[in-house]
Amino acid sequence: MERTKLHESLYASSLIEASLDPLIAFNTEGIITDMNQAKVNITGVEREKLIGTNFFEYFTEPQKALEVYQEVFAKGFVTDSPLTFRHKNGRLTDVLFNGSVYKDAKGKVLGAVVVARDIAEQKWATELRAANKELAFQNDEKEKRAAELILANKELVFQNEEKEKRAAELILANHELIFQNEEKEKRAAELILANKELIFQNEEKGKRAAELIIADKELIYQNEEKGKRAAELIIADKELIYQNKEKEKRAAELIIADKELVYQNTEKEKRAAELAIADKELVYQTKEKEKRAAELIIADKELVYQNKEKEKRAAELIIAAKELIFQNEEKERREIANIELEKFSYSLKLASQYSLSLIEASLDPLITISPEGKITDMNHATVNITGLSRDKLTGTDFFDYFTNPQKAREVYQEVFANGSVADYPLTVRHMDGKLTDVLFNGSVYKDDRGNVLGVVVVARDITDQKRIATELTEAIVFAELATQLAEEAKIKAENATRIAENAVKAKQQFLSNMSHEIRTPMNAIIGFTKVLLKTDLSAKQKEYLTSIKMSGDALIVLINDILDLAKVDAGKMTFEQIPFKLSLSIAAMLHLFDSKIQEKNLKLVKEYDDRIPEVLLGDPVRLHQIILNLVSNAVKFTSKGKISVSIKLLSEDDKKVTIQFSISDTGIGIAKDKIDKIFENFQQASSDTSRLYGGTGLGLAIVKQLVEPQSGTISVKSKVDVGSTFSFILPFQKTNADVAIAPELVELDPGIKNIKVLVVEDIALNQLLMRTLLDDFGFECDIATNGKIAIEMLEAKSYDIILMDLQMPEMNGFETTAYIRHTMNSLIPIIALTADVTTADLAKCKAVGMNDYIAKPVDDRLLYSKIVAFVKKTIPLNDHSVILNTENKKLKCTNMDFLKKHTKSNQALMTEMISLYLEQTPPLIKTMNQCLSSEDWKLLYSTVHKLIPSFSIVGISADFENMAKKVQEYAGTQQQTDKIHKLVQQLESVCNQACVELEEEFNLIKNT
Amino acid sequence: MNSNNKVKLFVVDDDIIYLKLIEIEFLQYPGFKLETYATGEICIENLSHEPDIIILDYHLDGIEKHAMNGIQTLDKIKEINPFIPVVMLSSQDKIEVAINCLHHKAFDYIVKSETAFIRLQKVIASIIHTRKIEESLEWYMERRYNPSH
Repeated sequence: MERTKLHESLYASSLIEASLDPLIAFNTEGIITDMNQAKVNITGVEREKLIGTNFFEYFTEPQKALEVYQEVFAKGFVTDSPLTFRHKNGRLTDVLFNGSVYKDAKGKVLGAVVVARDIAEQKWATELRAANKELAFQNDEKEKRAAELILANKELVFQNEEKEKRAAELILANHELIFQNEEKEKRAAELILANKELIFQNEEKGKRAAELIIADKELIYQNEEKGKRAAELIIADKELIYQNKEKEKRAAELIIADKELVYQNTEKEKRAAELAIADKELVYQTKEKEKRAAELIIADKELVYQNKEKEKRAAELIIAAKELIFQNEEKERREIANIELEKFSYSLKLASQYSLSLIEASLDPLITISPEGKITDMNHATVNITGLSRDKLTGTDFFDYFTNPQKAREVYQEVFANGSVADYPLTVRHMDGKLTDVLFNGSVYKDDRGNVLGVVVVARDITDQKRIATELTEAIVFAELATQLAEEAKIKAENATRIAENAVKAKQQFLSNMSHEIRTPMNAIIGFTKVLLKTDLSAKQKEYLTSIKMSGDALIVLINDILDLAKVDAGKMTFEQIPFKLSLSIAAMLHLFDSKIQEKNLKLVKEYDDRIPEVLLGDPVRLHQIILNLVSNAVKFTSKGKISVSIKLLSEDDKKVTIQFSISDTGIGIAKDKIDKIFENFQQASSDTSRLYGGTGLGLAIVKQLVEPQSGTISVKSKVDVGSTFSFILPFQKTNADVAIAPELVELDPGIKNIKVLVVEDIALNQLLMRTLLDDFGFECDIATNGKIAIEMLEAKSYDIILMDLQMPEMNGFETTAYIRHTMNSLIPIIALTADVTTADLAKCKAVGMNDYIAKPVDDRLLYSKIVAFVKKTIPLNDHSVILNTENKKLKCTNMDFLKKHTKSNQALMTEMISLYLEQTPPLIKTMNQCLSSEDWKLLYSTVHKLIPSFSIVGISADFENMAKKVQEYAGTQQQTDKIHKLVQQLESVCNQACVELEEEFNLIKNT
Repeated sequence: MNSNNKVKLFVVDDDIIYLKLIEIEFLQYPGFKLETYATGEICIENLSHEPDIIILDYHLDGIEKHAMNGIQTLDKIKEINPFIPVVMLSSQDKIEVAINCLHHKAFDYIVKSETAFIRLQKVIASIIHTRKIEESLEWYMERRYNPSH
């Protein structure tokens, strides 16, 4: 019995040891008490070392092992609990644990025994054991299975049918795909066109780039210029607008110019609008293009996705089919293995599909190349860019797809040499010729052992970048166009400005000419009216004639006003600085209003500040005009009361004085709201005033224009029905100079007769008028139609005075005067008759040597006074200075005429000549005397010879020249030497005299 | 002509007043550049200034006995450069003097008088005119004999 037990025990232990599954016994604390050889194998730890150690330590997850152990003790057993053994050397073994507790005879739990089944290696044994045990049972079962298989086969048939349906669907999907591919090709064709355009523009860009840089600089410069110009234009425009407003009423041309301007502005705006629309269009098209691109990308993705789906399906189908066959063959034995295998392969597939889809999703062409340069794989983007299918690409030469294969080869070689390459520009050629610019990036890839397997290159399509560059170029071109348009508009505006300016000038010229043309006949009308008024007339006739004369006077005033305004507008108004007596000036002017003031029964009060210096420097003519205008206004608008004229000294310093002139009246006054406007052209306080009181409304405008340029100010205070006060303040320079005696108006003196007057005048009417006037004065009068005739008459007859018109045919007044003064050397008084009293003309009158001027229409009293003044002046002056003069003349052997003529009165040249004469002459005189005493006739001849030319230069009479020639003659022939002495003496005295006189002249010129 | 296109004139006269007068008269004509000399010697010394025309007083030795007279100066000028036109100017109105001057290769002879300056202008104009004709003739001749030019 014992023995049997021992045998039994031995048998059991050998069974245990023989078991390939690790068997482990452990006590309630989890300490291993025993194990079999399988356990030793699976852990790699020796038996002795295992015993006494903790059961949990040999698993990858001790916690889980602990749970298994606890489960054993809790439930008394555990079945198929999965755990993983860790071998000493790291090898892992998946096992299923089965275990139960073992007890002693009393039923106390001593420990647990567990069996770990190695699933990987030992499941066959398990299965076999199970098969052996259950063979009979399985035989029965097989038949059931067969029946089930039949069912399964039917199911398979059904599934195959389903798959075929799916295939049909896939075919449909393929058709759809083909259709979409065609669509894509159309798009591609469009893109090809765009690309060709791009290439062309890229070439153009190269050339343009340089031009653009220059053009840009030019543009910047022009923009700056334009900025300046624009500013100038703005100013000019403002000026224009102002002038246009001013002149609208008067000049139709300006309106046209304005319209032109407005039209051009609208043109400009239209252009701007068109540009804006063009910009919008551009933006819209860009957006459209982007949309298309986005759609294409989506379509691509869709395609890729569907392709993948297809592949997945295909793969699934293949797997399913294989699986089926396999299952049919191996089902009996390997059902579980099959399932696991399937799972594993599926997960692998998933992983590979994931990375594949990533690569496929890339829009950049990706290509792998073998070390031999053959394409081994690529993504869909590559297919798109080359236009060749995957199959056709695979295995072909990588370089074939570039416009420059040599360069592509270099890239590829560089990758192998350096391990990578970055941003290398190349151009890919599509199968149908389309070119795509790309940047290449690539690197080698290696296997586990570091061997180079090939190159992966990524080609980044830079078509978009180039397209943007092109759009930029287009935008620049548009900007240039816009600039050009702006430039043209500017030129047009400038032209318009010029036209407007010309119009203004033409208008002024017209006004000036018209006024002049009107004045000439008016002179005759007024003149003859005056003459007629002096004849015996009936009361009626006298009344009518007076009306004619007043109207004529008014018209002349108006014309003068217009002329003045035109001058101001043209900037021709100039102001003289001549000495004049202010008090006399004022008195003379107010005198003019005597009759009018008496007529209207008004009182004139004059207040004159005595502190004002007697002589001032200024423009008396313009001052007259200002006061005349203001006083005549005062008289015009006042029906009763008084007019006060007050002149006050406001301030005084060493150099100048400031004087305030005020003219007050007790007239109708000016309403407050009109007071700002009265200084504007053609403005009167109300339109009623012009109806009632007449006048043009130009007077105050002229006054303002005369005051302000002389740095004066004008102001007005007024109360309706009480009166107005106009004040203006003007500065005057002080001067020590004396005033040319102003001719006072002389009453007709019947005592003065027999004055011979020569009138030079081309217009018959004026001739007649002058003759009538002069006859009235009782003067003798001859008429010359032009300067030439006048000179002839002067040569034939002597006159006391000449009245000279300025504008004449043949020879005008200036030329005639110049001839009389310089060629005829006559000092006869000449008075200019002029219609246009401008400063320039007056200066010219003085320059040519005229004594005075009288403005047309000729005032008979003024004419009389002036003639008498000049004739009287010359007569008594002659009385006075005849002695002086004759003395002078005897003493004065020289004159400056020759020098003045030849040097054009250039004082520097004159003094130079005089000093040379003073330098040369005395030695010559000395030599002359020496020759005489030494009887050196030859030298005397030469000396006198040298003296002769200087006589005419310094104005010594030709008598002396002849005398000198005689000396030469005698000296040459050595005859009558006795006479030479006397002649030489005379020459010496005249030369000495000349020297003295010239010295005086020299000092005189130098001091002035 | 000179590089600045002005006609360079030498005026030689021992009468400094007359010299100045001529100078003043020519001031009005901007086409001329004047150099004035009081003696024939100084004039000869300055011939290197290359005058286009010389206006020479006949009576240069009036006071200075040993000074070169007009004819001597004229001969010297012609010896140095026979192509400079010389206009003689003198208060002498004797015909023999004038003929003598022309024999000594003076371009013309002008008597100092009121009209002297006008006559001078005319002579200068005719000198310039002649010179232009000569120049163009020369140009044509050159072309004729050297057609390669």
